[in-house]
Amino acid sequence: MASHTSKAFLSLGRLNIAGLGLNNSASRVTYAAALSTNSPKGDKGFPQRNGRGPVRKPRREPGEPRTEKMPLDQDWTAVYPAAAPFRPSSVPLPVRMGYPVKGGVPPEKKGNLELIKIPNFLHLTPAAIKKHCEALKPFCTEWPSALDSDAKCDELFPIKVESTDFVSAGQSVRNPSARIVHLKVKLSSFNLDKHAQRKMLKLVGERYNKDTDTLTIRADSCPLRQQNQDYAMYLLTVLYHESWKTEAWEDEKTVADMEEYSWEDSPSQKNMLNVLVRMKVAGEGKGEVREQLLGIKEVQEYKDSVTRLKNEGESESTMLQYKEAVKKVLDL
Amino acid sequence: MAASLSSTGTVRLLSSLVRSGSLCSSSGSRALHVTAACCKNRAARVRVGKGDKPLTYEQALPPHHIGHRKGWLSQHTSNLKGEEGAAERTIEDVFLRRFMFGTFHGCLANEIVIKRRGNVLIVCALMLQKLPPNKFYFLIGYSESLLSHFYKCPVKLEIQTLQDKAVYKYR
Repeated sequence: MASHTSKAFLSLGRLNIAGLGLNNSASRVTYAAALSTNSPKGDKGFPQRNGRGPVRKPRREPGEPRTEKMPLDQDWTAVYPAAAPFRPSSVPLPVRMGYPVKGGVPPEKKGNLELIKIPNFLHLTPAAIKKHCEALKPFCTEWPSALDSDAKCDELFPIKVESTDFVSAGQSVRNPSARIVHLKVKLSSFNLDKHAQRKMLKLVGERYNKDTDTLTIRADSCPLRQQNQDYAMYLLTVLYHESWKTEAWEDEKTVADMEEYSWEDSPSQKNMLNVLVRMKVAGEGKGEVREQLLGIKEVQEYKDSVTRLKNEGESESTMLQYKEAVKKVLDL
Repeated sequence: MAASLSSTGTVRLLSSLVRSGSLCSSSGSRALHVTAACCKNRAARVRVGKGDKPLTYEQALPPHHIGHRKGWLSQHTSNLKGEEGAAERTIEDVFLRRFMFGTFHGCLANEIVIKRRGNVLIVCALMLQKLPPNKFYFLIGYSESLLSHFYKCPVKLEIQTLQDKAVYKYR
């Protein structure tokens, strides 16, 4: 009786599976195995054939988790070869995460969504990183031995171009901030005479840093990085050539345009000479020539102190120097 | 002066109403009933009941605990300062959650966690063992290929199955 019914079940199963178009051989094997051993999971029993439709396979029990079968000296890089979310059945640690219930403990790792939410670094153990480095070594080349100091790098490669690449999550690779290019160069690497240097500084204005002697050109007006790089190089070339040229209107440079203070023909010189002439006139009664006054050492010292004060600003040393010079000139 | 005028006006009005009231005596007067506004937050909160409702950790903690006792279900760089594309990612998230809820109907044990690593969309889900494994595999493959074609980027599903939901509290 049992064998008769089993054959009937088998045939029914075959028809059913053929109808659905599934992989026949595998299902037939499992189906036959389940029935022939008389269903070792005894509680299910045989599904009764009441004409209620297709017979269901008895439910498989879930297997034991991988953590039970892990040897102590296993290769962890095989368990987590790449970045993956937390799998409680693959991580043999008794981790708990979450806010505990009152009088309880944090929830366990099985079914814990909080552990899945956070990024984990289980794929970045030191052994894994060593493997990555070994795999990358064939693609690396040595640093050139001739470039062993920063000074040599600056001397051989004076122009430095900086640009930033952006990585973000999403389908699009484009980022508009990636087009910005900074071109840095030291002005000492150019050969500029006095006039060219002054003109260059006037042309660039804010882009020059006096402390590090670096000119920084920021190019962001073009939509692509290559275009911005070309534009920055073009600007540099133009600046250099323009600063060597002398235009006709540069002769109209006034005292207000001067970068440094010069004492010749300044109000300070006129005032000092007036005072000295008056002192000499009061003393001796003869008009002294201004050029002779200029040659006096005290007047030269006064000139130096005033120039230094105006150029460098007020500080202890400059004020002291000015005081001494004034005392000497006016014989105080 | 004005007050006496208005009072006589209302008296006349009331008298006219009384006279007309005989025609529609059943309706009476209609008034406006106003109660004090109850400004309670109801977002993502399961109300206290008899104590027989099992809740997961996600359901039990209300949204003001996000960042303190709860993490974020969806993480991507578009929410950082100066980054673009936040709206598109949000729409993708909403669609993915509805899609997963519908495709694996009745099998979800908890909320979907969506991670983005560069181009790749990783959807992590906890499922109950309601379907036989071959059906699960089919649905996983179907979802992955459909979503990859839809979003033009690799979509990976990381499914973990449980016997039953992990209960945190009863309310």
